[in-house]
Amino acid sequence: MPRRKRPAILLLVVAIALIAAACSSSDEPTITVGSANFSESALVAEIYAQALEAEGLPVKRTLNVGSREIYATALESGELDLVPEYIGTMLTFLGGEATSDSAATHAALQDEWAPKDISVLDYASAQDKNGIVVTRATADELGVTTTSGLAAFNGTLVFGGPPECPNREFCLIGLQDLYGLDFVEFKPLDVGGPITVTALESGEIDVGLLFTSSAVILAKDFVLLEDDLGLQPAENLAPAIRTEIIVAYGDRVSNALNAVSAALTTVELTALNKRVEIDGEDPDKVAADWLTSNGLVE
Amino acid sequence: MIEFLGEVVAWFSDPAHWTGVNGIPNRTWEHIQIAVTATSLAALIAIPTAVVLGHRKQGGTIVVGIVNLFRAVPSFGIVVLALPITISLGLGFGFWPTFLALLFLAIPPMFANSYTGVAEVDADIVEAARGVGMTDAQCLIGVELPTASPIIIAAVRVAAVQVVATATLGAVVAWGGLGRYIIDGFATQDSVTVFAGALLVGSLALATEAVMAAIERVLVPRGLKTAGNEVTGIAV
Repeated sequence: MPRRKRPAILLLVVAIALIAAACSSSDEPTITVGSANFSESALVAEIYAQALEAEGLPVKRTLNVGSREIYATALESGELDLVPEYIGTMLTFLGGEATSDSAATHAALQDEWAPKDISVLDYASAQDKNGIVVTRATADELGVTTTSGLAAFNGTLVFGGPPECPNREFCLIGLQDLYGLDFVEFKPLDVGGPITVTALESGEIDVGLLFTSSAVILAKDFVLLEDDLGLQPAENLAPAIRTEIIVAYGDRVSNALNAVSAALTTVELTALNKRVEIDGEDPDKVAADWLTSNGLVE
Repeated sequence: MIEFLGEVVAWFSDPAHWTGVNGIPNRTWEHIQIAVTATSLAALIAIPTAVVLGHRKQGGTIVVGIVNLFRAVPSFGIVVLALPITISLGLGFGFWPTFLALLFLAIPPMFANSYTGVAEVDADIVEAARGVGMTDAQCLIGVELPTASPIIIAAVRVAAVQVVATATLGAVVAWGGLGRYIIDGFATQDSVTVFAGALLVGSLALATEAVMAAIERVLVPRGLKTAGNEVTGIAV
């Protein structure tokens, strides 16, 4: 090829690439789906992503981003477009008051987040709250079935949970303030995952933080202590999505995600968690199966 | 920037950060413990084996090559991969996956340097030693080992510093040590704690370097030191 023509071809290629990039970003923005760094969050995010893809929407996944401080910041800055959220903790995180009334908490969350250009779509009936868990042996030895029962053993028990637990009102802060619990030590472990489970089983911790929809509690015959003083608020799952995505795609996005929320119950969620956490199945497949069997995708 | 540094100073001035399980003294002690045990065990495994192989000049390149493969495995990967294994073996999380990763990190440089150091001792020196009637063992312990000592100890020094720096990974699998400040600070997006943790690890690594340099000065035979009393030439 004569040397004079090469720069022209190169310019043409660059121009086409730029135009293609511009086309995809302005009217048809790619929806970046993110999640927190624990398996249930990543699973629900995967379900959202596949539901949107079934609508023919462009989706990109960035799962297991990190704790709420990290992914909420990313959502508000636009690096993420959609994450699954738990309405109670998120509302408190934004400075609001969460109660056990799902509808009220959801509405309050929408109000708090709207000024930051984040919409919260319909909430599912599925809830996943922080669960205070002990082994069967510990429950029998201490004779406890409720969280308030732990107060009788102040200064003797070791509590383990996610590293951010001491900063969370529905975790260590609430346990100390509302229940008056005083643990001899807090061990930072993981987010309701295998490390916390192992720590409970091996006795490295006496009390652990797991999640109420986790299949592990039943599978390991742990005892979920009753939240008798009502520390945990409503924690329904809801899609938190950047308003600009709703503006760009309208009903295609909201209908797809609301249909998912309508079908997702706590029982369903726990069963899904079992397949991933206990049976070790691939979350992509589990998500696809669930969507198909609920008639949400073909 | 100045404000941030002010917050870091405040973090260090807070007495709460100097007491208890999560206090600086305890976390530093945990860190030192794992670093010393891992480096020592690695030295016990790597150095005698490599020295003997180097003395016999047997199978060297292959073995060194295999050992160097360990270096290609990222420590973070080992820590995370070892976790389910140690859990299923009943060894739990935290200490053992971290310890394993640190062993993998410390063994290659010490092995490679010990082998090369002994194998490449000047042939004339060895011949001279045999010439004055030294047995094989006497030659190894009396001549080859001391001659190779600068290069071996240099490797231990490098390994020790790397181990101290890398032990921060243990916090990812719920171990303690100074990495806790970095991981916990990251989870709560508390950059002051993260920075303080990084400063502490960096300081400990520098202190390790200083201690190892002093040990080196003591152990390396006087005649082998170069003009500036510095040992150079590392095969790492």
